[in-house]
Amino acid sequence: MKEFRVLIVDDELDFLETIVKRLKRRQVDATGIDSGIKALELLEKEHFDVVILDVRMPGLDGIETLKEMKKKRPLLEVIMLTGHASVESGVQGMQYGAFDYVMKPADINDLLEKIKAAHERKALHEEKVRETKMI
Amino acid sequence: MPNESRYTIHELYPYAASVLTAGLAIALCLSKEIIWAAVALVLAVTSFLAARRLTREIKKANEQKCHLDQQLIQSQKLAAIGELSSGIAHEINNPLAIIGQETEWMKQIMKGDGLQAPDAPDELRDSLREIVSQVDRCKEITHKLLDFARKKEPLIQGADVNKLIEDMARLVEKEASQKNIKLVRNYQKDLPRVQTDPPLLRQVVLNLLNNAAYAIGKDGDISISTRQSANNSVELVFSDTGSGIPKEHLDKIFDPFFTTKPPGKGTGLGLSISHSIIVKLGGRITVASEVGCGATFTIHLPVEASKGEV
Ligand SMILES: Nc1ncnc2c1ncn2[C@@H]1O[C@H](COP(=O)(O)OP(=O)(O)OP(=O)(O)O)[C@@H](O)[C@H]1O
Ligand SMILES: [Mg+2]
Repeated sequence: MKEFRVLIVDDELDFLETIVKRLKRRQVDATGIDSGIKALELLEKEHFDVVILDVRMPGLDGIETLKEMKKKRPLLEVIMLTGHASVESGVQGMQYGAFDYVMKPADINDLLEKIKAAHERKALHEEKVRETKMI
Repeated sequence: MPNESRYTIHELYPYAASVLTAGLAIALCLSKEIIWAAVALVLAVTSFLAARRLTREIKKANEQKCHLDQQLIQSQKLAAIGELSSGIAHEINNPLAIIGQETEWMKQIMKGDGLQAPDAPDELRDSLREIVSQVDRCKEITHKLLDFARKKEPLIQGADVNKLIEDMARLVEKEASQKNIKLVRNYQKDLPRVQTDPPLLRQVVLNLLNNAAYAIGKDGDISISTRQSANNSVELVFSDTGSGIPKEHLDKIFDPFFTTKPPGKGTGLGLSISHSIIVKLGGRITVASEVGCGATFTIHLPVEASKGEV
């Protein structure tokens, strides 16, 4: 599969570090960041294909961050991270255009599969945009 | 002369009399009965003219009917748009009215030295909170509407539908179990992978599960089953033991803004969005229900991507 970049956004630093490490071990180009605002800023400067986004964060919460991201980068695919206590926001996330969600503590294989599917979708989307531009 | 190729055999019947009398005229002419031949000829010509008049009238009537049909379709369309707009207007007007009342109230508080009153800050905060929540509601409605209107073309990917549904089931299960609602799974194990738009399908599944849980309220079952069915398609069935749907509502539940939830609770867009998604995915969604016996929603989806036209 072509190289692609994944951004993980979560305020729980332990979780963030482990997941970045695990993904890297599986040859995924993963970057971690600990707030929605910082994630949005980073997206201005760097290119990412898939974002994994915690729904529960202080400051800008996951849903608000998701909306902003989709506004700025409509082709970006976002996977929501929900805890047992935040399923309601998971549902909301799906309605606001998240590609999928993963329940914490995320099973790494499940997550990896979803990341791949999300990336595949982004590639399909880009291809479609290119096609329509060519016509 | 009318263009014959555009006429069916029935439309030529009126000309039969003129053809016959014309034949008679020729026959009489050949047998030298000139006077009778002339009479027959006159008859042939008059019946021809009459027939022509008749067919023209029929044609005109047909055209008028076509025109009327078109007008009817147009007026049905307008009625649908009218219904939709009054739905939107109604949905937006309620929050607007509340916002209006709250601002009036805030003005009232701030009049004179009302701000000095001990409970003024709390009152103001309350009003503001209400205004914010009403604005959020308006936003939700417009967001859903835009989503509905936007012609999002599906992006087709292979999906394990059992897994897709199971993920969504887990998402609603926690809240459901607190209300003693049990999710019963019946997934066909070797279900073929389906070429579809996964996030769109997830939205539909969520809508159906949420509706089912709402209809049950407390204590009941939601059964989910998947199976392969004829014509290379899969069948996804969601049944619940909830309140059921009255007969007179069955053909309305897929309409935008149709809801039986109390004002301010549901948008009534869940099922209409789901319906349009399933059509886009080349499938169909149907409902069967009896009041008191719950409801069953069935989705048929093609295994291979086939683009449905909306
Ligand atoms: N499983 C069900 N059992 C009984 N009635 C149902 C069921 N699903 C839908 N309905 C009826 O169909 C109506 C429309 O459903 P729809 O999902 O479109 O909107 P809603 O659920 O009322 O609002 P929203 O989805 O925005 O919360 C519901 O209000 C309800 O009357
Ligand atoms: Mg609903």
